[in-house]
Amino acid sequence: MSPTGFLHTGGLLQAYAAWINTTWLHFFAVNYKWVWATMETLHFLGLGLMVGTIGVLDLRLLGCARGLPIASVQKLVPWGIGAFVLNTLTGIVFLAGAPYQYVYNFAFQMKVLFMLAAGVNVLIFYTGTWARTQTIGANQTAPWAARIAGAVSLFLWIGVMYWGRMLTFFRPPFVVPPK
Amino acid sequence: MHFLSSLEHSAFGTWVREAPTIWAYATILFLHTIGLGFVVGVNVAIDLRILGVARQMPLAPMRKLFPWMWAGFIVNALSGVALLIADATTKLANPVFLVKMTFIALGVVNMGWSKRKLFDDPQTLEQYPPTSHAKRVAIVSLVLWIGATTAGRLMGYLGPVSGLESLD
Repeated sequence: MSPTGFLHTGGLLQAYAAWINTTWLHFFAVNYKWVWATMETLHFLGLGLMVGTIGVLDLRLLGCARGLPIASVQKLVPWGIGAFVLNTLTGIVFLAGAPYQYVYNFAFQMKVLFMLAAGVNVLIFYTGTWARTQTIGANQTAPWAARIAGAVSLFLWIGVMYWGRMLTFFRPPFVVPPK
Repeated sequence: MHFLSSLEHSAFGTWVREAPTIWAYATILFLHTIGLGFVVGVNVAIDLRILGVARQMPLAPMRKLFPWMWAGFIVNALSGVALLIADATTKLANPVFLVKMTFIALGVVNMGWSKRKLFDDPQTLEQYPPTSHAKRVAIVSLVLWIGATTAGRLMGYLGPVSGLESLD
C-alpha cells in the first residue's frame, strides 16, 4: 500500500485539505487542548451506543435473543442514528483538525468505504425484506435476506471500528500527529 | 516499581508494545474497542429500555443478551491485561487508570448482581413506570459505563502518558 493509500497527493483533494486547515473549525480542533480529548470521548460513547442499538438489531436478525419481536427492537434504531450523527460530527472535528492525517490514510479511506457500504446495506434492507421481517413473531427466525443484512451490517460496523483503530498505524509519514 | 518495570520489559510486554506486526499492539487495541462496544453498548441498551426507551420491546428476553456483555467484558479484561503489561510503569502511576478500574469494578458488580437480579422477577421488570429500584440500577449503570469509557479515553491525555506530552 502506498503511503497515501488509494489517493495521490495533489489536485482537488489536497486543495480541500489545505482549505480545511484555514477554517475556524481547524483552529477550534487544535488550539484548545480539551477539544480533542472531549471529542474522542464522545466518539467512543457513540460507538458503544451504536453497538448496543444497531448491533442488537443485527444480532436479533441473526437469531440471537429470540423472544424479542423484531419490530420492537427496531425502536432502538433512532438512538443508533443519533449516535451515528454524534460520531459523524465528532469525526468531522478530527478531520478538520488534521486533514492530511485522514484523507491520505489508507485506514481512513477504508473506514469511509465501509460506512458507505453499510449505508447501501441499510437501504437494501429497509426497501426490501424489512416489510416482511417486521411482521414475524417474537420467537421466529428472520427471513434469509434479513439474516444476511444483519450479518453484513455487523461485519461492516466491526470493520469501521477496525479501520478507525488502525488510523494511527497507517498514518502517512509526512503527517505530524495532532498535539 | 522494579516489579512493574520488569513486567513491562518482559518478553510478552515487549512483544505487545514493539513487535513490528499488525497482530500485536494494533490488534489488541482493536479487540479492546470491540469489547467496549459490547459491554457498554448492550448495558446501555438495557438501561435505556428500563428507563422507557423502546417500550414495546419486552425486557425479559433481553436476558439473552447477558452473554454478549460478559463476552465483551472477558475480551476486554484479557486485552486490557496485555495492554497494561506493555505499559505497566506509566499506566499504574496514572490516577485516571485507577478511576477507570473503579468504574469497571462497580459496573461489573451492578451488571452481574443488581441488574441480573432484576431479570429474576420478569413481571415486576416489565412494569411501566419501572420500580424505583430498577430505575436506580439503570441510572447507576449508565453513569458507571459512561464513566469507565470517559476515564479510558482520558488516560491518553491526563496524568503520565507514554510517548506523548501530557495535557495537564
